[in-house]
Amino acid sequence: MTGKKMIGIIGRVIRFVFLGVMALISVGPLFWIVMSSFKSNKEILASAFALPSGFSFSGYAVALDMAPIFLFYGNSILVSVVSTILNVIVVSMAAYVLARYRFKGSTFLLLLLSASMLIPTSALLMPIYRIMTSIKLFDTRTGLVLVYAALGLPTSLFVFKSYFQGIPKELEEAAYIDGAGFYRTFFTIVFPLAKSGLATGAILQFLMSWNEFMFALILTKRTNIRTLPLALNYFTSQFSFNYTAMFAALTMVILPSIVIYVLLQEQVTESMVTGSIKG
Amino acid sequence: MKVKRWKLISFLLPCLLLFGLIYLIPMGIVFGSSFFEWKAGGIFRFIGLENYINAFLYDVRMKTAIKNTIIWVLLQCVIHVGLGTVIAFLLARRLRGWKVLRTIYMIPNVVSAAALGVIFLNVFNAKYGLLNSFITQITGEPFTKNWFFEQNSAFFTVTLTWLLYSGLIVILVLAGIMSIPEDVVEAARIDGASNMQVNLRIRLPLIRTVMGTSVILAATSKLREFELIYLTTNGGPGDKTLNLPLYLYKASMMDNNYGYANMMGVVLIIAGVIVVYCINQLFRMNEGDY
Amino acid sequence: MKTRKMLALVLAGAMTAGMAAGCSSGNSGNTGGQTNAGNEAGAETTKQAQDSSSQGSAGGSGEVVEITFPSMWVGVNTFKEWFDNRMEVFNAEYGDSIKVNIEEIAGDQNYVDKIKVLYSSDSLPDAFCTGGYNLIDTMQDKLVDLTPHIDDEWKKMGSDVTWEVNSRDGKIYGIPYARQAIGYFYNKELFAKAGIEKPAETWDEFFEQCDKLLAAGITPLSMDTADSGWVTSLMLGAMIGQTDEGEEFMNTNLPKDYNTPEFIEAAANIQRMFQNYTTSDAVGGAYENAAGNFFTEETAIIANGPWMVSDFYDTNMVEEGFADKIGTAMYPGGVMYNSGKIGFNIGSKDEKTLEATLTFVKFLTNEESQKLMLEMTGDIPAADGITSDKTAPLVNEVIENAGKASHSINDFQSLWYANVVDEISIQYPLLAQGEITPEQFAQALTDAAAKN
Repeated sequence: MTGKKMIGIIGRVIRFVFLGVMALISVGPLFWIVMSSFKSNKEILASAFALPSGFSFSGYAVALDMAPIFLFYGNSILVSVVSTILNVIVVSMAAYVLARYRFKGSTFLLLLLSASMLIPTSALLMPIYRIMTSIKLFDTRTGLVLVYAALGLPTSLFVFKSYFQGIPKELEEAAYIDGAGFYRTFFTIVFPLAKSGLATGAILQFLMSWNEFMFALILTKRTNIRTLPLALNYFTSQFSFNYTAMFAALTMVILPSIVIYVLLQEQVTESMVTGSIKG
Repeated sequence: MKVKRWKLISFLLPCLLLFGLIYLIPMGIVFGSSFFEWKAGGIFRFIGLENYINAFLYDVRMKTAIKNTIIWVLLQCVIHVGLGTVIAFLLARRLRGWKVLRTIYMIPNVVSAAALGVIFLNVFNAKYGLLNSFITQITGEPFTKNWFFEQNSAFFTVTLTWLLYSGLIVILVLAGIMSIPEDVVEAARIDGASNMQVNLRIRLPLIRTVMGTSVILAATSKLREFELIYLTTNGGPGDKTLNLPLYLYKASMMDNNYGYANMMGVVLIIAGVIVVYCINQLFRMNEGDY
Repeated sequence: MKTRKMLALVLAGAMTAGMAAGCSSGNSGNTGGQTNAGNEAGAETTKQAQDSSSQGSAGGSGEVVEITFPSMWVGVNTFKEWFDNRMEVFNAEYGDSIKVNIEEIAGDQNYVDKIKVLYSSDSLPDAFCTGGYNLIDTMQDKLVDLTPHIDDEWKKMGSDVTWEVNSRDGKIYGIPYARQAIGYFYNKELFAKAGIEKPAETWDEFFEQCDKLLAAGITPLSMDTADSGWVTSLMLGAMIGQTDEGEEFMNTNLPKDYNTPEFIEAAANIQRMFQNYTTSDAVGGAYENAAGNFFTEETAIIANGPWMVSDFYDTNMVEEGFADKIGTAMYPGGVMYNSGKIGFNIGSKDEKTLEATLTFVKFLTNEESQKLMLEMTGDIPAADGITSDKTAPLVNEVIENAGKASHSINDFQSLWYANVVDEISIQYPLLAQGEITPEQFAQALTDAAAKN
């Protein structure tokens, strides 16, 4: 018995250390960025990992002064939120059909849709630029929303589809017997049931839109419709740099996405606690 | 339950429209132009399979890029997904603070690649890097390995920038585990199964499709990996850490050889379809769980 | 994030659609089938008045011509202040006839990448300026041949060499604004500590001085490899340029063969520098790291241009009084980077915008603008004889040195193929660690050049 106990304790210690180390290397980067944003350029150059000598917010002031961060904030929020909503609605409907119904060409369709997950962004830049100019969506937020909603399409499709497959069919059948139609069944029964999966997909979509850089650069021209990732380059150019301001800007870019992520995640947890998913 | 065909189509249509506009047309352009010599300066000439032949028979760099891409995909599928799954199962016991940990593990995935690049360059810096300072502290002797830029460590170090950050897999698997109906697990427990047995025999098979999704996401993310390599080693030293997407970028932006770059795009798409198809079959992802 | 609310989507959709309609782009320059300027330029001026096909930009607001100009002069860029000032004056002077739509692109590589995408989609902006990066050879077919538009008066706003760098086969494709004059900076205090009196005159002496610095416990050189290995490559070019053959090589546009004795010897010396005389973070480091080591007085020497001088006074970067410790020198053998810089390239597609664009560029390169540039950025004017008493003494020293140099060379970023420049940065680590020989290094660059 004591042997078993020992193993149990050792197991627990290993588990604790393992989870702890993983947590450490996960928050480390974030901690370092926030810390660096309070250091002066001199301090950063002298030692990248030393603690700041004091808490100075001047980096933030400089960053806000040098790049139109607040403006970009608004655009980023707008573009990310709308593209996420669009992506979740449009893709979940398709994923539902592909998860539940087999028809001629459904496998082909799935492969075709998933093939899009494999194209590197740099191959798409020029064609998408041309398409956007020809349909007059170049240099508009609408264009960015569309592109982002599509860029996340394959990922969302996979996530949504696997969750729909995990929902017992009986619930839908019961709804049909109660006289609910196809649309109503989807939006009132299936959609809420797959909430955790939908939220996961939405998180991914949101983060992608929030952090995307290359399309934001290529598909926009006017400063007043641009998004946050483009602000980061205002602080390093080939022969000049301002590290303090860059880290301040990085902090301002990263923190909201973490907050939004935590908020969204709460919703997932809540849905699991209320037990709607247990069926 | 029989549903009218047009209703299904109406559900698929918005998605297909979006797909057609942003992916299908560009894919067509990529595919078509891969058979052309297309370079800056107005050169545009049909050359059939020449780009492909050059790439696979004569281009040494292409071989390295393909090899590196494959290794990174495999490592990601096995170690990255494995790690995420183990963590998810540990968290699924709802130990104290599991929610906090789940959030913490996701943080590196929330941070943009641009930021991660800067961070890792500093962590692995030869002179003042965190890792070297740490080793110096422990051994008491100055340690100055230049992790990213030495032949024998560059590949490994680049791999480290993503391999251990499996927060996304944790979330996916965790959500999968938690959506398993309690009664299924209870039944097994009554039969006297241990914790480990419940996890391996009951839970893991039940989250098969979620696992499949995780593996597909892991594999495809490494088929397209670009930013972190570009921002740290830029493929070097030599071509030690060159992969296909980076080579594609260089072919189009540095060499101005658009046809050749798009040929690589086609190779990536084909490779990807094969990978996704195999994973699909392996995890029997087209079948429902119940 | 209420994902389940259909209503939200509808509302949001309507909202963005409304916005899109409200501010769809001005879309200048993209008037499709217009012929490129070039030879028929003269013939087209007469038709200019009835040129109704360029209705795209007019939009009912009278005779204001809209032109596009992507600017990298934002954020921390040393040119930002200058450009803001110039735009203010320009708008006051020409605002009622020319509207410049400025696209801000932060970051040099981003700027070049975007221009390349625009080029390949046949929609180059009316004017662009890469800050030294050579796009003329790649984009020649879509750039306006400016030769007929440059009169003698305008010619005076650049010295001969600056026009040469911007010309191909006798045709002008770029309008110069600045000259390239680069030597190296050294820390006098550290030199004194090591017992060195003045900068070396031969490379042998240079390496002796490096040994002296080392003996005094000082790391001699700041070096880098990332991006293009700018600091390191300047040293490389300077060593190549010490002979007449080398000088010619360093003034050759797009060289294809790097297997020359001068190049290989220089590469061998770079290898020696990496292995003995620089910091441990040089390999893999970027300009920032190299500059940082110099600013913190860890290294005694850095190769760079006069635009760096303003940082010597910035106490956010360096200790008070740092600038007084710094001297500037020409490279051993009397070598200086002394050449033109790639200037403003023009991609206008019709006469009306071309004319407006030329007015705009002419303004940015006029005497007043060049003088202000010298004062505000430390970059050296393209025209001879523009001086200012407001410049830092170090900047003037660099200009003097350039005048005295016995070998004048141009820099690799303006001359070499883009992929060769990229190749350098991934081959330097191998060279530094002795994984490849200088001969193999030269061969790798030759192979890269052959891809073009």
